[in-house]
Amino acid sequence: MSVLVFMEAGDELSLQALTFARGIDPEAEIVAFGTAPAVAGVVHLAELGDYAPQAWARAIAGLGATTIVAAGSDRGNEVLAHAAVMTGGVFAANVIEAAGDDIVRMRWGGSLLEEARLHGDVRLMTVAPHAVAAEEAAGEPDVRTFTPELHDADMLVRVVERVDTSTGGLSLAEAPVVVSGGRGVGSAEGFEPLEDLASLLGAAVGCSRAVTSAGWRPHTDQVGQTGTKISPELYIPCGISGATQHMAGCKGAKKLLAINSDPEAPIMASADYAVVGDVLEVVPAISAELRRVRGAP
Amino acid sequence: MVLTADERAIETRHLGFTVSPHEECGVEEAVRIAEAQGGEVTVVTLGPPEAEEQLREMLALGADRAILLETDGADWDPEATAAALVEVIEGEAPDLVIFGNESADSGGYQVGIRVAHALARPIVTGLKALAVEDGQLRGQQETGDVYRVPLPAVVTVKEGINLPRYPSVPAKLRARRKPVDRVQPAARAPRIELVRLRVPEGRGHQAEVLGEGPSAAPAVVELLQRLGVA
Amino acid sequence: MIASAIALALALVVAGGLFARRALLLTRLVRMGKPSGIAREDDVPVRLRNEAVVVLGQRKLLQRLVPGIMHAFIFWAFIVLFPAIPIAMIAIVDADAAPHWGWYELLANVFCVLALLGVATAFYIRKVVRPRRFDGSHLGEADLILLWIASIVATLLAYHATESQVWAWAHVLLILGFLVYLPYSKHLHIATAAINVYFGRTRSRGRLEPLKFDEDVPEEEMRFGIGSVKDLTWKQMMDAFSCTECGRCQDACPAYATGKSLSPKLVIMGVRDHLFEEGPKALAAGDEYEGPPVASHGLLEEMAWDCVTCGACVEACPVNIEHIDHIVDLRRHLVMVESSFPSEAEPMLRDVERQANPWGKPQAERAAWSEGLDVRVLEPGDPVPEVLYWVGCAASFDERARETARSTAKLLQKAGVDFAILGPRESCTGDPARRMGNEFVFQAYAEENVATLNEQGVTKIVASCPHCFNTLAHEYPDFGGRYEVMHHTELLTSLVREGRLSPTASDQSITYHDSCYLARHNDVVSAPRELAAAVGQPVEMERREKQTFCCGAGGAHMWMEERAGPINEERVRQAAETGASTLAVACPFCTVMLDDGVKSSGRDMRVVDVATLLAESIDDAP
Repeated sequence: MSVLVFMEAGDELSLQALTFARGIDPEAEIVAFGTAPAVAGVVHLAELGDYAPQAWARAIAGLGATTIVAAGSDRGNEVLAHAAVMTGGVFAANVIEAAGDDIVRMRWGGSLLEEARLHGDVRLMTVAPHAVAAEEAAGEPDVRTFTPELHDADMLVRVVERVDTSTGGLSLAEAPVVVSGGRGVGSAEGFEPLEDLASLLGAAVGCSRAVTSAGWRPHTDQVGQTGTKISPELYIPCGISGATQHMAGCKGAKKLLAINSDPEAPIMASADYAVVGDVLEVVPAISAELRRVRGAP
Repeated sequence: MVLTADERAIETRHLGFTVSPHEECGVEEAVRIAEAQGGEVTVVTLGPPEAEEQLREMLALGADRAILLETDGADWDPEATAAALVEVIEGEAPDLVIFGNESADSGGYQVGIRVAHALARPIVTGLKALAVEDGQLRGQQETGDVYRVPLPAVVTVKEGINLPRYPSVPAKLRARRKPVDRVQPAARAPRIELVRLRVPEGRGHQAEVLGEGPSAAPAVVELLQRLGVA
Repeated sequence: MIASAIALALALVVAGGLFARRALLLTRLVRMGKPSGIAREDDVPVRLRNEAVVVLGQRKLLQRLVPGIMHAFIFWAFIVLFPAIPIAMIAIVDADAAPHWGWYELLANVFCVLALLGVATAFYIRKVVRPRRFDGSHLGEADLILLWIASIVATLLAYHATESQVWAWAHVLLILGFLVYLPYSKHLHIATAAINVYFGRTRSRGRLEPLKFDEDVPEEEMRFGIGSVKDLTWKQMMDAFSCTECGRCQDACPAYATGKSLSPKLVIMGVRDHLFEEGPKALAAGDEYEGPPVASHGLLEEMAWDCVTCGACVEACPVNIEHIDHIVDLRRHLVMVESSFPSEAEPMLRDVERQANPWGKPQAERAAWSEGLDVRVLEPGDPVPEVLYWVGCAASFDERARETARSTAKLLQKAGVDFAILGPRESCTGDPARRMGNEFVFQAYAEENVATLNEQGVTKIVASCPHCFNTLAHEYPDFGGRYEVMHHTELLTSLVREGRLSPTASDQSITYHDSCYLARHNDVVSAPRELAAAVGQPVEMERREKQTFCCGAGGAHMWMEERAGPINEERVRQAAETGASTLAVACPFCTVMLDDGVKSSGRDMRVVDVATLLAESIDDAP
């Protein structure tokens, strides 16, 4: 087969990868592990137990596709990189467009685009999250189970244990609204008004790298290229200048409301809405107005 | 982002250079392991002669020596980079090789994995916690997934695994005297061939300013209601 | 007679011996001290003049009239009464041989009475008035000394009145006892103060002592500020020995005034106490000495971080102790060796190191403030302008400070001055890194900027930021950069005087805030006032000129959190007391801090740079 797409499940990013793969070849087939996603199409399914990247890659490589696509998630990138070595193929990560051998992919978390040509009999690509809108594909899969031939060392690296890392709060990556603070917040205590507003909106609280460097918030709160990448309905960065590092982490946000005292801060160029002012004055005012409008304390 | 005239690189005049965040954390992790259990830390990079400055910064963090695979600064694709690194790493025969999960600039996500295959070593990626004990490593990812793998092995780590130390000045001065070996790597024809770089178009519209200072609050709340999040 | 002679000789030997033993320890300690980073033997005429004015003339003490006169009486009495000591000794041995010069005895009696008046006043101040500056001082010791002085003087008066040997003995014994007690008490300042004043800075107070990081210095000999007691310089030890715990520095300190733990007096006392505790151990152990860090003594570390390097303490000190050197040197070791500093400052330090400015904004945008103004940006090889306008990081990147740069540029253009800016090649002068204690990063920037300026052939610089001004003018010469540097108010004032700029005064009431780095460290006080007077109706605050009260941004505090009460709000309160509608400044840090202070205290004052006021006044002219 020519085009194969690895779907981790029926999640948003995997569906985006499927859409992308079908954009190259409407007959693109799917490979999955454990459970087949509920989409129409041929699904090659193998049962290999818990996640083992090299084994899964071996299974994928064995299917003989010449173009292999996956989501640009941690697992997608990992599995395809292994599969690239196994197939002798060329692997380009975070691709946003592909036509034949010519691709466009992201550098710097998306602040720069690379137009490149792939050379190789086998091409592997992961799709940059939210570069493509997932198309409707629900349906009954045509499941073909298979037992891949693995090499001895393939199962050496696999998940052996799972630790609960939830901090109890709303997950930054999944929250519909995220309120973030940067240097303009001024101190760790300065985050209190942001947390207050977040609780009123059912939002998660994030921060910029300057804030984690200063020790005001833990790295798990960091939104950015090397932190958590978010894609909320609404992102409200407060006192964040909008450095490339940070913007790479919030490209997926549907709408962005920037609160900053500097009307010329870089973030204003990426914002849909803006309030110019001191974060420590504006944010409490918004919370107060919200309370007033809701008529509740 | 400003590009050079030939659109093949970023204009670096007036820019400062740093080490990629994942990688800086990787070096810090290596130094901590060596400090706790004894051992030697070597840092390697592929880049132009100016990259020695970043190697010296890592030596100041506590690495013992450095190797610079010297290029003319042109783009090297991930396969070529991995192949060049393998030639050097093989000779070093390390117990543990640490990479950043992906580089901040080109973000290829594959150099570590390619090197691991060439060395026939197991690789665990995206670690936020790493422990080495009795010839084995325990790695934990952001999601909480845990792996256990025998040494020698390869790992990639993510920023947040630790907070790199701020090097002392004596450490920076010592770093000036630590050895930096230079190697000329053999170039390979890139299989991801760069055609050109381009800066993505902006959103095309200006931000709608809702107001200035606290008096903008009512307009903000009205927006929140419109967006359905209030 | 022989018996008295022997007894006196014995007393002299015993007292002299005890004194010498202690003096020897003190001398050995000072000789163990590291060399000072700046020359302190040059400018002899200025040093001698300082001796005359500060020591003999008691000028700094007389800033507070009553305590000043009190001390002056006692001090001058010491000098005048000195010959009375050998006279008394002769009288002890042979009463007839002692000279009795009527004029001298009259003079001496007058000064004895003045001294007694002084002591009485001192007791009145200490027991009745009880000023806050004595909080933390050892009052008991002071009482003892005052009583001792009173006794010395009283016995002399008695001797003059009765000519009895008994009183002569009493006088001499009290003096010998005093001599022995002297080096164990803060009265040591009698011996050390004059020396300390002599070796103090003669030029800019804002110039810190550089450290040497050359490769040829072996690491064990390198000094990274004050780690343990053996890192103290001899001057810092002299400072510690000269402190009388008078507390004038404490009274002047803006951090202390707003509830922080920092008291410059307690810093010097802490260093002194640590020196006496650990110094002898260091002398004994020599190179093997490994003692606790000086910063761990009491609250020294916490106090070191509270400091805004405003210099009010140094200005107030009657014996010219240089507190800032101690504090910055403590910070240097904490930052450069222990990597220990307030965590909120880490991004700023990393940004200065990697991005060439403490705001972490791209250098490529450094000239963005000048958009639309057609300001010449110097490229390498370009002809050098008459004057280089050094804009500084704040005016380049902070939205409130940018206005000052725009106003200054417009004014210079209007006056037809041939100027240019360096744009992206202008890196941070390094002042925030240096005041934080990161001397290493500072020197890297100093060398880079000096190379840029020298290659370009720059000889004259105007800066709109007092910190840049101070560093360029007084600190860069240590790194090969010698330029004629003006603050923008100085240049603008001369342009107004020459008639190249013609402002008209409005009726707005303006109070001008003196920046520490302009007024106190560098004596620039009249130029900005001339500008304020040319554009409006000036009204002065009580703390002004060299007694100005800091805005709170110095010492890298622009980037650090403030514990306890905010310094900027206190200064804004002082400004509001004048009733002025406009608070004029001449520094981008002051602009931001005082504007923040106005906003957070809900007042109605406009904070604006004098350059902008001048530009507005000229624009508005018909």
